[in-house]
Formats: sequence, structure tokens, C-alpha cells
Amino acid sequence: MSAPALSLPHGDGHDHAHGHDDGHGHHGHVTLQYQPGLPLSRGKLIMWLFLSTEIMFFAALLGSYVVLRFGSPVWPLPHHVHLSEPIGAFNTFVLICSSVTIVLALEAARADKAPQAKLWMLLTLLLGTLFLGVKAYEYSAKFSHGIYPWSPRSRVFEKPDLYYGSAVRARLGEPAIIDKLKELDDTPADKLTSEQVAARGRLQQIRKMVTNPDQQPFDLAVIADQVMPLPSAGSHGHSSGLNDAFPWLRLPAVIPGGNMWASTYFLLTGFHAIHVGVGLLVFAILLGYRLDHARAGMIENAGLYWHFVDLVWIFLFPLLYLF
Amino acid sequence: MSDHSHSPQPHATHAPVTRPGETTEIHETVPHAHATAAPAAHAAGHGGDHGGEHAHGGIGTYLMVFLALCVLTTMSFFTYSSAWPWRDQPQVGWAFMMAVSCTKAMLVVLFFMHVLWEANWKYVLTIPAAMMAVFLALMLVPDVGMRTRMVAQERALYMPRQSDVRLMERAAEAGNAERGGEAH
Repeated sequence: MSAPALSLPHGDGHDHAHGHDDGHGHHGHVTLQYQPGLPLSRGKLIMWLFLSTEIMFFAALLGSYVVLRFGSPVWPLPHHVHLSEPIGAFNTFVLICSSVTIVLALEAARADKAPQAKLWMLLTLLLGTLFLGVKAYEYSAKFSHGIYPWSPRSRVFEKPDLYYGSAVRARLGEPAIIDKLKELDDTPADKLTSEQVAARGRLQQIRKMVTNPDQQPFDLAVIADQVMPLPSAGSHGHSSGLNDAFPWLRLPAVIPGGNMWASTYFLLTGFHAIHVGVGLLVFAILLGYRLDHARAGMIENAGLYWHFVDLVWIFLFPLLYLF
Repeated sequence: MSDHSHSPQPHATHAPVTRPGETTEIHETVPHAHATAAPAAHAAGHGGDHGGEHAHGGIGTYLMVFLALCVLTTMSFFTYSSAWPWRDQPQVGWAFMMAVSCTKAMLVVLFFMHVLWEANWKYVLTIPAAMMAVFLALMLVPDVGMRTRMVAQERALYMPRQSDVRLMERAAEAGNAERGGEAH
């Protein structure tokens, strides 16, 4: 059984070596042969080796996320951090579609239908760009709620304690905000929405509480709830707080566990987005070629990478949006 | 197409590198006819180099996989809807979603990445990586996952707790009642 299996590659390699060595080794009878360690082309082998390192890379990231998620005493619900499940599901769908289009590009290239392959490739590029666009929109929604992965910009506090209270006081004492608040106080009620009028009343109450040292004791959790309410587990809606009524206000907000969540979310989705970006770059380069049968290997390797990126998102979506 | 005249050349150099491991049964059945038969196959029809994979794949298969992936995504998204029966037991949803994700991952790897039709080298590359990945994640558990089991009192003081969430919820209830009162 093993003899023919061994002899064929040997014979093949021999022919192969002759073809290449014609120019150099006429006199030597010993010809060196190239025998691949694994029976696949070098490009594909390298891509798979790279992907196996990528498996470990993302396993470390996803593993630390899961371990932090379940090891933390409190973890925010997706609604606490303004994640939108339908948007996440839509992005999952976009990536699945792009996986199909790249597979179809490969099939077209193997059948030597170059224009068709290019069309599928272009579609993959567009779908990947759409994914990144949606991701950018989601990031901007986080930023607008004061959720940043780093501390000077982040307005997230872990609990409604004295540090939180003094941060609210500091924000309300900033000269620019004092001017804005004066402006708001002087605005006639008919120039504001009814929601904004109600919010203005609550804001004035909070300002009295926080800035007046002779005040009665007050509940910081109430202030935190007024600034940015945490939607309860059952509700799907987004309850509006002072920061939503007046986006310039940018008061500190309380999301228990929110900072650890932000670190893991931005790290995971950020590294994934970088991978998507690299894939798009590869597709853009490939679009410059004629995608016929001779390029099928290149398309296959680019496709393998892209499917892996899709694979990572398949796990990221439920872990980040639905857990 | 104008490329037809060029096409045998890349195969002629490419074929010996890929062919030996493509499938073992070919070597067993037609050991010597293979070398001459292959170029003929290439000349006859394009894609002969990957003929083995090509026969298995096909657009119909890919579309079926695509449909399955869409259905599975909808299934995991279903845990988010109010019709999901285990809303008070999140663990059921987590297990369900992970099962769905693993199924989706297997579909992508087996069909889109063609692993189903690859030779045995696939195990050489994927199994050690998968084992390393699992160990890597497990080794995070004692240091990172259990880091809040035993902490200094000072640290515990500043750590967010479930009680902080309850504090916020209570404030929200009071606030909603107040806001409701304003509206009425």
C-alpha cells in the first residue's frame, strides 16, 4: 500500500527537478529534490500556519473576555452600554454574505471566468466596507455616551459614590458649561421640546443639590439615574437621560462594570476591525489583477483569511451582543 | 479567451507540488498513469488541478451553507426576542448560542474553507493550534477569572458590585414614578 504512494511523489519530484536543474547540474548524478513537508502549495501552507497563530491570538482575546466577563462581580447588560443587537445581527449577516461572495469569486476564477470573479471580489470588498462602516457608526454611538476605552475621555463611573458626585460637580463647574447652562436657563420654554423642558427642570434640581454645600443629604444614585438611566433587563428601549436631552452636557455617567466592559469590547472589536481592514486591503490589491485560473491560489488564500475573520465574528457577535 | 494557450504552463509546474497529497487513493489505484493523465485533464477542462475539490463544492452547496448560516444567525438572535422562553435563566441562552456559534463555525470551516475536502494535513495544522488555544484560555482562569474572589478590603470598597446595579434600579423606579406623576 505504501510503496506506490511513496514512489509517485518521488518520481514526480524527479521530473520536476530535471526541469529546473537543466541549466546548472549537467555533470552531477545526484539531483536535489524538493519534497514538500505537507502536501499543499507553499502559499496555502503559510496561510494555514498564519491562521493557526491567529486561532491562538483570538483564543487569548476571547478567552480573557469570557474569563473577565464571568469573573467580574458585576457586568453590564448590553442595554446598559447602548449596544444594539439588531445592528450586530445585521453586521453578522453582512459578513456571512461576504464569505459567500469570496467563495463564488474563487469558483469563478477556477472556472476561468475572470470578469465574474472580479465582480464577486468587488462585492466582497463592498460588503467588508459596509461592515466597517456599521462598526464605525457603533463606535461613534459609544463615544457619544461617554464610553471610551481610555480614561481621560471616558465618562463612565463604576458606582454612584462620592467620586462620582465630585465628578458631576466638577463638570457642572466648568466655565464653558456654566455659560451653556445660563443660556439654557434663559431660553424660553416654547423654543424647547416638552422633553427638554422637563429635563431642564431636573437639571436645575441636580445643580442645586450638587453645588450648594448646605444641602440636605441626597442620593447619588438618583443623580446618576437622571444623567443616564440604566434600562432594566426586560426593556428593549432606550430610556432617555439628561445627557440625551442635552448632548453638550456630557455629565459623568454610572455603568457598574462599564469600564472593564469598554476595555474588552474595544479590544476585541478593534482587533477584529483591523483584520477586516487588512482583508479589504488584500481584496483591493487583488482587484488590480486579472482573476483567472492562474490567480485561483491567491484568491483561495485571501478567501481563507477572510473566512477566518468571519469565523471570529461568529463568536464575537453572541459573546458581546447577546450574553 | 486568450489565456487558453497559456494555461497548461502553470499547471505543468504547479501540478507536481500539489498532486502527491491530494488524495491517497489516486496513488494506490493509478500510480504511473497519473503523471501523464493530469496534464491531459487540464487541457480538457479548466480547474482540473483542483478537480477533487471542485467536484465536492459547487454553487449549490455554498448557497445551502449560506442559508443554514442565515437560519442559525436568526436562531441565536431569537434569544434576544421576548418570545425566548428562558429569559430568566440566561445560562440556557448562553449554552444555546455557543452551540449555534460552534455549528456556524464548523459550517464555515468545513465548506467555505474547504477543510472537508482537504487531505489529512488539516489535522496537523488545526489540532495543535486548537489545543494551545484551549490551554491558553484555561490558564487565564486562576489569575484573571478568580481575581475578585479574595481581594483586599480597600479594593473591595471601590469595586462595582451587584448592589450598585440594584441601587440604580431603585433610583430608576423612583424616578419613573416621579416622571409618571409629572405626566399625569
